[in-house]
Amino acid sequence: METNDEPRHVDRLRRATVAARDLLAPSHAARWEVFAKASSTHHMARNEGSPPFETLTEETGVAVRTCHGGRFGFAAASGIDKAAARRAVESALASALPFPRDPLPPERLLGLATVPPAPPPTPRGWASHATGELRDALRARSAGRLAVLRLELQEGSYSWILTTGEGFIGAHSGSSCSILVEVGDRDGEGGVWHEWLWLPDPEQFAAEEAAASVVDRALLRGPAGEPRSGVRDVLLHSEISAHLLAELAPLFVATPGRADPLASLVDRQGRLASGLLTLVDDRSGAGAPLVAPCDGEGLPARPLTLLEEGVPRHRVACFMDAVLCDETPRGGAVRLSYRDAPASGLANLTVAADTALPPARLLAESERLLYLVRPVGPIEVVAEIDSFRLVASALSVDRGRVEGWHPVVELRGSLGSFLRRIEALGTDRRWYQTSCGYVGAPSMLIRRQPVGTGARGG
Amino acid sequence: MHASGNIEPPFDPVWLTGVAAAVAEAENRVSPRLEDVYLERRLDLRVSARNGAPVVEECRSDGLAARWSVGNRDVLLARTGTSAEALHAVLAPYGRGLTLPERRPLPAAELDAPREWRRWAQELVTRTGEDALDLRLVERRSAVIRQGSWSAVETPPLVRARRVGKSASALLAVHDHPSLGEWLRELLAPPPARTWVPEPRSRLPVLFTAGTAGALLHELVGHLAESDLTARGLSPFAALGGAEVAPHGVTVIDDPGRQDLPGAFTVDDEGVQAGPIQLLSDGVLAGWLCDRRGGQLLNHPPGRGRRATWDRPPVARMSNLIMAPGTTRPQDLERDLENGLVVSRLSGATVDPTSGRVVIRIERGWEIRHGRRRRELGQLHVTGSALNLLANIDPAIGDDPQPEWRLGWCVKNGLPIATGSESPTILVRQLEVL
Repeated sequence: METNDEPRHVDRLRRATVAARDLLAPSHAARWEVFAKASSTHHMARNEGSPPFETLTEETGVAVRTCHGGRFGFAAASGIDKAAARRAVESALASALPFPRDPLPPERLLGLATVPPAPPPTPRGWASHATGELRDALRARSAGRLAVLRLELQEGSYSWILTTGEGFIGAHSGSSCSILVEVGDRDGEGGVWHEWLWLPDPEQFAAEEAAASVVDRALLRGPAGEPRSGVRDVLLHSEISAHLLAELAPLFVATPGRADPLASLVDRQGRLASGLLTLVDDRSGAGAPLVAPCDGEGLPARPLTLLEEGVPRHRVACFMDAVLCDETPRGGAVRLSYRDAPASGLANLTVAADTALPPARLLAESERLLYLVRPVGPIEVVAEIDSFRLVASALSVDRGRVEGWHPVVELRGSLGSFLRRIEALGTDRRWYQTSCGYVGAPSMLIRRQPVGTGARGG
Repeated sequence: MHASGNIEPPFDPVWLTGVAAAVAEAENRVSPRLEDVYLERRLDLRVSARNGAPVVEECRSDGLAARWSVGNRDVLLARTGTSAEALHAVLAPYGRGLTLPERRPLPAAELDAPREWRRWAQELVTRTGEDALDLRLVERRSAVIRQGSWSAVETPPLVRARRVGKSASALLAVHDHPSLGEWLRELLAPPPARTWVPEPRSRLPVLFTAGTAGALLHELVGHLAESDLTARGLSPFAALGGAEVAPHGVTVIDDPGRQDLPGAFTVDDEGVQAGPIQLLSDGVLAGWLCDRRGGQLLNHPPGRGRRATWDRPPVARMSNLIMAPGTTRPQDLERDLENGLVVSRLSGATVDPTSGRVVIRIERGWEIRHGRRRRELGQLHVTGSALNLLANIDPAIGDDPQPEWRLGWCVKNGLPIATGSESPTILVRQLEVL
């Protein structure tokens, strides 16, 4: 399928925003904002025991925020014709409630960054070809030891326009492509594995390479047994690092009415993590899944340093939350879809590492290393009481040699001291879809972590 | 036409009848063959608080989808809108020669929240304070066109409540359920100050109080009986049809007719009239939850093809899982426990269908010693194999069935749908602490 409908989308989006503007201009709304979005998605599923399934979706919608006489309203409606614009405008005006602040950012804060263009659309039939190739490569690489239970490719293109009553107009067109793979161990020991693969440039997709990354990890095993308890060096696979960082994300999002939990986590030097860890949220650059010239409210995209060499620096927030939390508005509004009002959130949380080592070297450096290769359940972080709990499948590795495989290993204890013991980062940064959006994380080596014991109780 | 019930039809019935007649020819072809057309309108109303002031977010959306069988593959074409143009767009690519009615559909009345709901929600989020509560009303009206006819799918308006912050928790209920106020109070009750959790890997009997066992059976029985897994041989139940998998007295049905529970519907999203399906009959695995395709493969009646939204295909999913009550008083079950756990609230449960391993996240409960409640539990996980867990249900079953309000929003393969459950108190003789 050709998923690039950009010119047609943009033209229709413009008409929708003009229709909304014509309704809003004579209304009593002193300030307003219109967001219109159109997307085309192609989903291709090849699941074991089922015929191939394709879904082709076109979705459009308009959202309106209004501010008038101390009242604030938000409404959205599907479609990008005049009727959709009217429904959104009328509902926003009708459902507006008194609100103590003007939640729309002032015009002086709005602007657009220059961002790289999206990759070209894939040719017709590419999704079918790519998933077929990957399925064959997975079977060949695993020599029949793994069943390919689910193989789903999703590609799509989208365009949006954001315009305000003061005359700001922002627009962007982009595309995305990713594959979800679910493999099951035929001997039943390893359970089911999920891998999400982001394809920044589908033209460069190499099925054998992708299959190797999935199969090699799924079949990485040794003799099963209990891990030796005690103090161990621990290496987190990049997937576990990503989900751990996702659980830290709320620390970097300003939330009105809630105490900042960082105070209970940082040490006397104000350090949350090891000096090796720098975290950035950035939607302006290439090499990240979510790229846009501005945030969901029109503040220009820029890299925001959240943690600098272990020390907390900035928090992201939508304009309303920034004002309520006395933060400088830096642009941190996310729109999950046209249906949702902009909310504080991270776009692409990533580890910026000046010094990193190849994962093979991290594995080879330690004696009695515990290598956590796959999360078994959600990682739990309770920042207010400085605690975390992580359950994963792991390997015991002695100077690069696999000595044992442990289906369930639990780490728990002080979150702050765990993060401050990060001693090395891998060169293997990868993007993952997480509970807080996209996270780009490498492997992380943690020294002297107690295993099999830890703080209990709440 | 099958517009049932006493609410107005979701779309112009005359137009739907004309469309159903017009597409019938495409439904009788070999390939490309039209399986069905699904139309949906939805209202999502969210009320939350910012700095103590209520904020309303309102979204009205509609869309439709045509499902085609094309050679050896299935194709779903989906599009925003329920207009004649949107319908044409999803029929034209494979519907060569189809002529749709010239008459355009009459506009249907807008969906709106039940009377006084907005005021009630605004007062509640403001009164709760600290911006701690997020309330949503979800209304859905849909119709399925199939085999020259159409059916209206009626579902009750639902309320989703989420307590945000460090003790996050959730609620899903039919909007006018008489116990909603009581459940909201329970949702907002502060967590215990001092808690205790048992040692990892300890194996203990666990008493699930009335209601909470519904979430357990949702994972243990419901998901494992869904036809997409069983037909592919991926569920531990796959080869166990007719086998005794639980003790005598354990009877479980899936019933979309329970309009007081969130998984209710009159017709499923493939146009099949709703009816109860017995899954366990006195411990014997008696049925499957099938969509049309699964029903063909398993030679079992369909009726559980459910769609998360208009742009997703129907898959076999549960409606309301009901466990039949026993005759034992719950206090007697508790009194007989020497050393174990009593669970009064779960915050999550998952099943890995292939391995059959279940992980249950306990949010509230007590340690029990010599039949008496002692320390309050902190959050913990317990686990076990689905088949072992079912076999370990004590045949003495409580006489106190209650709906579960905490875990109705069921996510499978990333797609959420509303489900319900009702169960009495049950004892699982052994679970392992994770």
